[in-house]
Amino acid sequence: MTAVGDPPRPSPEAPPALARAERPALRQFVRATTTPAKLRLLLVGLVVLCLAWGAVAAWVVSQRSSGASDVVGTSEPLSLDGQRIYRALSDADATAASAFLSGGLEPIAARKRYQADIAQAASHLESATAAAGHSAAARELATLSAGLPVYTGEVETARADNRLGLPLGAAYLREASSLMRGTLLPAARDVSAQANARLTEASGQATGLPLALVLLVVTAILGYVLYRAQRWLMRRTNRRLNPGLVVATVAGVVALLWLAIAFAVARADLLEARDHGSDPVATLAQADIAALQARADESLTLIDAGGDDTFEADFKAVERRLGPGPGTLLTAAVAAARGSPGADSAAAAARAATAWYAAHRTVRSLDDNGKHTQAVKLVTTPGPDHSGTLFTRLDGALTAAIAADQVVFRTNAVTGRDAFTGLEIGVIVLSLVMAAGCARGLSTRLAEYR
Amino acid sequence: MRPPGWLRVPALLIAAAAVTVWAVPGSAAVSPAQRETATQRPAAPAAPADTSCDPTASLRPAGPPRVTRGSFMAKIRARGYLIAGVDQSTFHFGYLNPLDGNIEGFDIDMVHAVAAAIFGNPNKVQFKAISDLQRIPEVRSGAVDIVAHTMTINCERLQQVDFSTVYFDAGQRVLVETNSPARGLSDLGGKRVCATKGSTSIANIGAAPSHPIPVAVPFWTDCLVKLQQGDVAAISTDDSILSGLAAQDPWTKIVGPRFTSEPYGLAISQQHPDFVRFVNAVLQRLRTGGQWAASYARWVGTPVPAPPPARYKA
Repeated sequence: MTAVGDPPRPSPEAPPALARAERPALRQFVRATTTPAKLRLLLVGLVVLCLAWGAVAAWVVSQRSSGASDVVGTSEPLSLDGQRIYRALSDADATAASAFLSGGLEPIAARKRYQADIAQAASHLESATAAAGHSAAARELATLSAGLPVYTGEVETARADNRLGLPLGAAYLREASSLMRGTLLPAARDVSAQANARLTEASGQATGLPLALVLLVVTAILGYVLYRAQRWLMRRTNRRLNPGLVVATVAGVVALLWLAIAFAVARADLLEARDHGSDPVATLAQADIAALQARADESLTLIDAGGDDTFEADFKAVERRLGPGPGTLLTAAVAAARGSPGADSAAAAARAATAWYAAHRTVRSLDDNGKHTQAVKLVTTPGPDHSGTLFTRLDGALTAAIAADQVVFRTNAVTGRDAFTGLEIGVIVLSLVMAAGCARGLSTRLAEYR
Repeated sequence: MRPPGWLRVPALLIAAAAVTVWAVPGSAAVSPAQRETATQRPAAPAAPADTSCDPTASLRPAGPPRVTRGSFMAKIRARGYLIAGVDQSTFHFGYLNPLDGNIEGFDIDMVHAVAAAIFGNPNKVQFKAISDLQRIPEVRSGAVDIVAHTMTINCERLQQVDFSTVYFDAGQRVLVETNSPARGLSDLGGKRVCATKGSTSIANIGAAPSHPIPVAVPFWTDCLVKLQQGDVAAISTDDSILSGLAAQDPWTKIVGPRFTSEPYGLAISQQHPDFVRFVNAVLQRLRTGGQWAASYARWVGTPVPAPPPARYKA
């Protein structure tokens, strides 16, 4: 814009003059018409590309490994804690109810079992609260922490009144049970559900393909550029190999192999952990929760002989949900557990459920025909065709299936997570080596032009 | 209330006639249309006393209790046990004793007496615990033979079931915690007052001029839980039930005078007038034989008043 022939002027014209002096140099650099200029451009480009690749690779690795760590360290334990809290609370409720059924002095074993359940619920509640941090499950865990002492207080009042021979005890037990079933158990179920959702998300983050594809594209670009650079350099300088670029290439290949192996191993392990571990565990746990709920219904119907059939109606609803049968929890659990170590136990659970329903119908028909004492006996005492025994078999089979698949999950998820060990640092170091190699190799060539 | 009252008198005459015709052995079953006339009345709010009938007059027994051939009692005997709908949570009237797992109380004594008269064995009874709300449906459906469940006889209920003669006289009062200044429903305006669903008491609370807030629960003991937890200010129902609640919590007291009269009867299906007469004969024997007084002394306490006299339809 400034006329070329103009005489030099003081300060106001100084910046344009400088710009004019610079612009050709820049143009020359970008156009890279001369060999040194091309070398210079290649050097800068390769170093930037290596560093960029390192950054992208490190970021992708950190995403994956943090997903895997979340699966192993947070969401899975939280989901498990939620299930165990539910189990313990539901068992406490059913035990308190059937201890009442026994009439007179409650059996000491029932009392001990109730206390163990409450202690277990409290301990899992504590570890879940620590694991949950500020996640969505924190609110439900707060509900549980606040409600548990209220529940135990009401059960103790019920017990004290019962020991005095007052019918008020049964009313307190009903009140406690409705707190349990209306507030505490749904909260425990939500903790598990939210942790499971988080588990699915974290597992997806650790195994998902989109980020890996981004990394693959960036790697391909880098590889292509390195290859072209070396070919061009060989032709231009008539030298066979450039040591710097060779180092960079080797570092790149090492990084690529490491990434590929780690990703493949982690993905295989985490998918195995999901398909034969956490997925069947989640379905089995749902089935177990439903079975526990139906068991409590059975006891409460007998205590609450007040005629209204809320609990029996709930039992029937749960029975329909639990199955076995098409679209039911047990059938889904058997399908989910197929091929996993828990498969046999899951199938046994489905058979036990059918036997239990038959025993339950005997209990109901006895109770409906005024044979309350015999009905109670079938529920509270052991015997080959007693409802109590058959439920224990169902619950035992489900618990065994959950435990077996839990082991599959744990082992595979841990190896999956460990596949990422050192990878992030390694990728960063290797990308620095690559950048250094490129810089070294090209600057040696460049020096020959000075 | 007056126009329905006018309508009700002829309706009841038909119903009464129907029952009388029915009672005669061999007479044809009454046509359902006639019985429906009796129940075709607007669903009046239960509160104000219904004077359209003489509620405490029951069917006169035909001599001492006897199981006649072809009677409903003979059917019960053939079955092997009496089915009674009872309460399981009303201390001293019908409750499940946690110490031995048996259902016991004043109401239950009446049932045992009926079973003894049929079988010669007071324990040939199958108790079915039901809530207040289920008393009438259970009798009408035939699921139970008899209901002994602190059940007030009134004209509205007589449209749907038959009652024995009065076996206990109660009246509604108020139970509060010992530190409460309330002396009756009039002091409980705007406060929450508990009674069971389907009881006459809950309707009376709702109809009280001071406008307490009725809180309905399934069982009377649920009311005491609510009172102990500070969720309601008072419980209002028959003094018989209240004294059972007060016996479970020394920090409660029954206040104010009786403001209703609640004569208890055993509810029996309108299909079995022979059974009503039989039960009335049993009750009469209890009154004169001293067993009524013994039950009263055991479950309610002393001094024992004279049993409510039997009144029969003309």
